[in-house]
Amino acid sequence: MSLADLQPLMLGLILACAALLVLLVDLVIKPSGKPILGWLTAAILAGTLVASWLLPLEGEVQAGVWQGNLWSTFLARVMISAGLLAVLGGLDYVARVWPYRQGEFYTLLLFSLTGMVLLPGCRELAAFVVCFELMGIPIYVLAAYSKNDNGKKPPEAALKLLLIGAASTALTFFGAALLVGMAGSSRFAELVPYEPGPLHAVAALLLLAGMAFKIGVAPFHMWVPDTYEGSPTPVVAFLSVAPKVAGFAALSSIFLIAMPTLAHAWRPMLWLLVVVTMVVGNLVAIPQTNLKRLMAFSGVAQVGYILLGFLGGAEFGAAMMLFYLATYVFANIGMFLIVHAVAEAGEGEDIVSLNGLARRSPWLALALLMFLLSLAGIPFVAGFWAKFYVFTAAWRAGHGEMVLLGALFATVALFYYLGVARAAFVNKSAIEGPVPVKRPLALAIVVCLLGTVGLGAWPNPLVEAALAAVQGLY
Amino acid sequence: MTAILLIASALFCAGVFGLLTQKHAIGVMIAIEVMINAANLIFVGLGQHKGAAVGQSFALFTIAIAVAEVVVGLAIVLLLYRSRGDVQVDEAREMRQ
Repeated sequence: MSLADLQPLMLGLILACAALLVLLVDLVIKPSGKPILGWLTAAILAGTLVASWLLPLEGEVQAGVWQGNLWSTFLARVMISAGLLAVLGGLDYVARVWPYRQGEFYTLLLFSLTGMVLLPGCRELAAFVVCFELMGIPIYVLAAYSKNDNGKKPPEAALKLLLIGAASTALTFFGAALLVGMAGSSRFAELVPYEPGPLHAVAALLLLAGMAFKIGVAPFHMWVPDTYEGSPTPVVAFLSVAPKVAGFAALSSIFLIAMPTLAHAWRPMLWLLVVVTMVVGNLVAIPQTNLKRLMAFSGVAQVGYILLGFLGGAEFGAAMMLFYLATYVFANIGMFLIVHAVAEAGEGEDIVSLNGLARRSPWLALALLMFLLSLAGIPFVAGFWAKFYVFTAAWRAGHGEMVLLGALFATVALFYYLGVARAAFVNKSAIEGPVPVKRPLALAIVVCLLGTVGLGAWPNPLVEAALAAVQGLY
Repeated sequence: MTAILLIASALFCAGVFGLLTQKHAIGVMIAIEVMINAANLIFVGLGQHKGAAVGQSFALFTIAIAVAEVVVGLAIVLLLYRSRGDVQVDEAREMRQ
């Protein structure tokens, strides 16, 4: 094997080398110069994003263990963008709060991204599991990162994430063991025979439960609100989207490529999960007063909509799932970054801390409104098209009842999203003066805003890219 | 083959039982380890049965991953112990329910 054979893995290799580079630079640099590590990471991520258009990333590695195509590249771009936005948004916070631990922070983030970027191309179960854990383990550490600044919450949040993550890993391993044991091979193509038995169905359900934990599908979502509330906000901005994108990529590759003949076992289960997720996510979000907890349950509800695209199946459904994920990245990261900006100004993380934002910082309030509208699915921002296309996919697949349920709960969601908007635009605040926003954070918010508004105005290029990307899945 | 599946399933169920009933963070982690080892048993046992090396090599990967997870897990448990003095999972509820 020569180095040229690894060409399709290039994005992952760049990120892994970048992680090591950041770690090395961290060793030789003076403490006062450490903020440069954040900029270095941001620059590398931006460079990798550009490189994803320039490098030839198509092809097989190791006779089909890993497959580079439009699908893996599309997802890699979404994940790297999420990483870049989170790094930019957290730059000043990381430099201020953990001045001596910046190197490790960015190293862990880059390693996690490496796992994510490599995940969609895996066509073999061992590689798949390793990538999945490479994504997960650094995130446990990141969730525990603020070990001493706000009391007992961070270790508690990280412990919940870790225990549930490890339990889901155990479920995944057991399902994988059954499949590999019965097939005598770990290639996706050879994993499930044409006429699967009951044990194959059990394995499929174990894998589904394991994945459902990771993406936060109800009733496996218990860790989501606690982890979101307890972890540092820039970490949450990353945690709330990037692993979800990777989780859906994993779900698609394992269920659509390896288990199409088992669809009769996992489809009804998935159907049930979508219903429960939409109901629980939307209803529990209503009484929340903490913004991060509200966003956690809104995230659970959004996962329900994304799964709807997955349930829509076939090429159109999977493509619309990709489109939804891309719009979700912008709106959700943007939302968390605004929460972060307001919390940085010393106002706390409750909905009431947004009071009077429209008067204090009109632009920030406008961006907030756009993100909320996108998450709620109001025309004509990106989220509207995402919901519309996902509903179309479900309708075409004959899930009319799901479209009805989804539309109903989209109305419920409007209620709590507009509650946040009301705090910003209607309520008055005793505090005067604009919310200070540092430059990199402002840049990240502007990019999210442009993404949300731009995709709302011109969704077609991305829809076509998503449709083309899905070809790589089959 | 049936014997391996039965033993591994029993071990897995014991792990799930521990996961649901243990109150101590380290106890929960041990329960998870038991579940992962049940998976390893199937990997190795069925791999032997099929005569394919893939099961055994897969077990090496799962062992390595489980170790990495336990290391991070114990570090977090230590962190929690330092901040609150005990690591009972059901006591860790600073956050709203």
